[in-house]
Amino acid sequence: MNKKKWPKVLRAVIMIGILLFLLFPIYWMLITAFKTNMEAYLYPPSLYPQHAVLDGFINLFTENNEFFVYYINNFYVSFASALITCVIAIFAGYSIARFHTKWNKVFMAILLSSQMFPIVSRMISLYSLMSKAGIINTRYGLILAIVAAQIPFCCLLLSSFFMNIPREIEEAAYVDGASRNTILFKLITPLVTPGILAVGIYAFLMTWDDYLHAATLIQSDELRTLSVGITLRYLGELSYDWSLINCISVIGTIPMVLVFFFFQKYMVKGLVAGAVKG
Amino acid sequence: MKKGSQKLSDNAYSFVLTIPAVVLTVSFIVVPIIQSIIMSFEKYGVKNIISGKKGTWNNFRNYTKLFETGQIPEAAWHTIVFVIFVIIFQFILGMALALILNRDFKGSRFVRSIMMTPWVVPTVISGLIWMWLFQPQYGFVKYLISFVTNGRVNDLAILNNPSTALGGIAVAALWKQIPLMTLLLLAGLQNVPSDILEAATIDGAGPVKRFFSITIPFMAPVIKIAVSMEIIENFKQFPLFWTMTGGGPNGSTTNFAILSYREAFVSMNLGSGAAVTTIWMILMIIVVGSYQKAFIVQDMS
Amino acid sequence: MKKLLTAVLIAAIGIGSIFANGQNEKTSQTDSKVTIKVANYALLENGYEEYWKGIKTGFETENPNITIEWVTAPYGEISNQVINMAGGGDKVDCIFAELGWIPGFEDAGLAAPVEDILPQEFIDDFYPDVMKSFEIDGVAYGIPLYVSPYVLYYNRTLFEQAGLDPNTPPTTYEEMLEDAKSLSKLKDSNGNPVYAFGQTTASVPVSGSSIQGMIFNFGGHTLAADGSLDCDNQGFYDAFRMLKELDEKGYNPQNAKLKDLRNLFALGQLAMYYDQSWGFNGIQSINPDAKSFIASAAPLKGGNGNGQSKLESHCFVLVDNGEARADATSKFVQYVISEKGLSDYLANLTPAYPARKSMADISGVVNNPVLKGASGSVSNVTASPAIAQLNDLNLELCSLAQAVTVGNEDVDAAIADFKKVTNAKLSD
Repeated sequence: MNKKKWPKVLRAVIMIGILLFLLFPIYWMLITAFKTNMEAYLYPPSLYPQHAVLDGFINLFTENNEFFVYYINNFYVSFASALITCVIAIFAGYSIARFHTKWNKVFMAILLSSQMFPIVSRMISLYSLMSKAGIINTRYGLILAIVAAQIPFCCLLLSSFFMNIPREIEEAAYVDGASRNTILFKLITPLVTPGILAVGIYAFLMTWDDYLHAATLIQSDELRTLSVGITLRYLGELSYDWSLINCISVIGTIPMVLVFFFFQKYMVKGLVAGAVKG
Repeated sequence: MKKGSQKLSDNAYSFVLTIPAVVLTVSFIVVPIIQSIIMSFEKYGVKNIISGKKGTWNNFRNYTKLFETGQIPEAAWHTIVFVIFVIIFQFILGMALALILNRDFKGSRFVRSIMMTPWVVPTVISGLIWMWLFQPQYGFVKYLISFVTNGRVNDLAILNNPSTALGGIAVAALWKQIPLMTLLLLAGLQNVPSDILEAATIDGAGPVKRFFSITIPFMAPVIKIAVSMEIIENFKQFPLFWTMTGGGPNGSTTNFAILSYREAFVSMNLGSGAAVTTIWMILMIIVVGSYQKAFIVQDMS
Repeated sequence: MKKLLTAVLIAAIGIGSIFANGQNEKTSQTDSKVTIKVANYALLENGYEEYWKGIKTGFETENPNITIEWVTAPYGEISNQVINMAGGGDKVDCIFAELGWIPGFEDAGLAAPVEDILPQEFIDDFYPDVMKSFEIDGVAYGIPLYVSPYVLYYNRTLFEQAGLDPNTPPTTYEEMLEDAKSLSKLKDSNGNPVYAFGQTTASVPVSGSSIQGMIFNFGGHTLAADGSLDCDNQGFYDAFRMLKELDEKGYNPQNAKLKDLRNLFALGQLAMYYDQSWGFNGIQSINPDAKSFIASAAPLKGGNGNGQSKLESHCFVLVDNGEARADATSKFVQYVISEKGLSDYLANLTPAYPARKSMADISGVVNNPVLKGASGSVSNVTASPAIAQLNDLNLELCSLAQAVTVGNEDVDAAIADFKKVTNAKLSD
């Protein structure tokens, strides 16, 4: 009996150890957000706020409210990118899954290799190309650049969902005289809704996380997105305000957590399907 | 069915469907990449940006300079050490957690979903969280280490010390990436047929043997994909480095991403920055290519 | 090939730019109305926003036909932003800049000689010695709002606690090391150790600039008059030996940015440190009581040097965008750099030394306790040759400082490495 208990204890210890590593930083971020700066700078640190205050949050809403400009921009850009990515991925994903033409082989090669290129290398010349086209420092340009970065993975991910749809359904509709567009949009697309959700959420999360695109392509403060806004503005030259930074971190993380937990089922399925098959 | 005519319109239709994706990828990825490779052979700086003049060929000066100063070998070293370190620990810890969570126990579903939280924390914010934990004067990690070592080590400043700074960033990267790795490995574990595992148990194979001779081979495709995804991700890692150390101290955390960004957008020497990214891409293709090759060879044996 | 590719991209996003055009700036220029663009990072910094907004309203009321349009980006990004905008054909008229940025803007062909835009009698009111720091080949490319050397800030309370006289701060590095012995034994009220002496070494250009100031303290130099690297001099080596010694004794917070030092100083955990006089604003934003313990002193003398320092300045860099905008810019500059425009600012917000002769007697500056101790040192400065790669040089100096401190490298070997890298970087 004793011998059997050992692995169980060991497993529990390992699991708790890893979970502590994963979750403690989040706890620390949360409680620092509720500490005053003076308490945050206490050493040894207090493990829970001794006088929980909302100063940081109040400060964020009253004085440092340009944060919400970044925040709203981030929503806007993430949402638009997710939407556009989905539409494009439906077209291209279907094409890859359904038609094995020579062109599609070339297309696949472009997609697969594009995934590997580091963003910085694109930014260097994208910058001058986009200024020539007059779309530098616009939301529109930023969204397009980000969508382009998401497309390779998202197309491949969605095509793995299209592949699971039996061809017979299509052929039957074709015989019934349905047009190609009707087949794709009215018949097939609804069948891959989980895949579309997965792609959409993935694109949303990745855009929410974007730093480099916005850092190089956006220059006006009123168009800036969250990650860049935070590093540039709150890690400024004057001083650190750690309790404010932790408040920002909390608020900046919440939408991601909510989106993820609401759509967890699709997300997990989609990622796994994409990774295993793509 | 009229095969001939349908085939033709198949081609046309599939081509049309891919146009938006192709236009975007080509104009925002392929063209800029090619242009930056061209730029890497040119003297291209602020003046060119402002006047719109073309860069001028400078006889591989961008490249020779980067090697003369030793920046490229250093960046390559930092990048590769970081990738290897993160991948190994990520795999071990992710696999351990996945194996534990693969058994059903009370609360296992809850743990599976809560453990994903770090993965959804934006990268820049992850960097901030860990900077705060590592803060040299009031940081929690300093306190923890001092507590664990009973006060013998009480001036730990991970990010300020050239020999530990890279490790500090790696911890933050691990924190953010272990959840996804665990999730993918968990999915892979579902592919391992339980009847074979049971049969092996009856045959007297111990857990270690079962793990290496049954579980791992069945999971190989998932492992291959998951690890190669993470190799690419960490090879390209920029925001964590940029927020946490900016490449310092004393250049000890300058990887390819930081070096190219600094050359191109801080020193405003775009030609030199492009040269860094070109070497970086070549190295990445070699690493990922040989990784995939190694896996194929293994599959066959 | 390249042309073709560019054409593809432009065609691809051509449709989109129809949308985008709606967002582009609408500078419809009627005859009388002029809009000037002023790039200013300070609008994003907490303490300064209000002041600059006040300047805009004040100036626009006085000159109803001129509108100021702020171009903002954070401190670290503003130069890139201005350059990038210029690349897109959109040049700002005026940049609120630091002294160290001038060579870059000049090299980029953006900065115009100030005499092309401002009236001569206005320029003549500035101290010629100060203007030297703004010159490239004898022509000034920036006009200072105010200046400061790297002053030595110290904490009077900590000096008292350590049994030292708070009215006689150290004047040489030897005295500083002597004082540091007792200062470094102190603990603050939470039991945290006190650092004795702070010199910034983290990898940002301004730290490199501050290190140059320290090299001048020791009578050394980094560049020869022609702008080439010339660091084989006693003062240069002495400065880095001192940094190493400070690190070994644990006096200097490692790898710190100026803002880290301000933070520590504000919390009473740092006894002395070098900063620009306006660093006080950062200190005060953390600890509003800082005025009660802060005092300043002249930069320390080291080795064979006589404590010369490096001048820092917030200044305007001007861009020539044709007569109408240049005239408006000239008015704006004269509006800001005046007793009316700056006296409150210098007295309350940003303690610093005026650069105009006619402003020498502003009471808020003369009687400012924060500035008093170091007031003589504005004139004891060395002007460094202007080179276009100044940022690179400064960052390399930071790397060198980190190599001998946190990197534990030997000073001579580290300097040899530094020379190799820096020579390559300065070569083109």
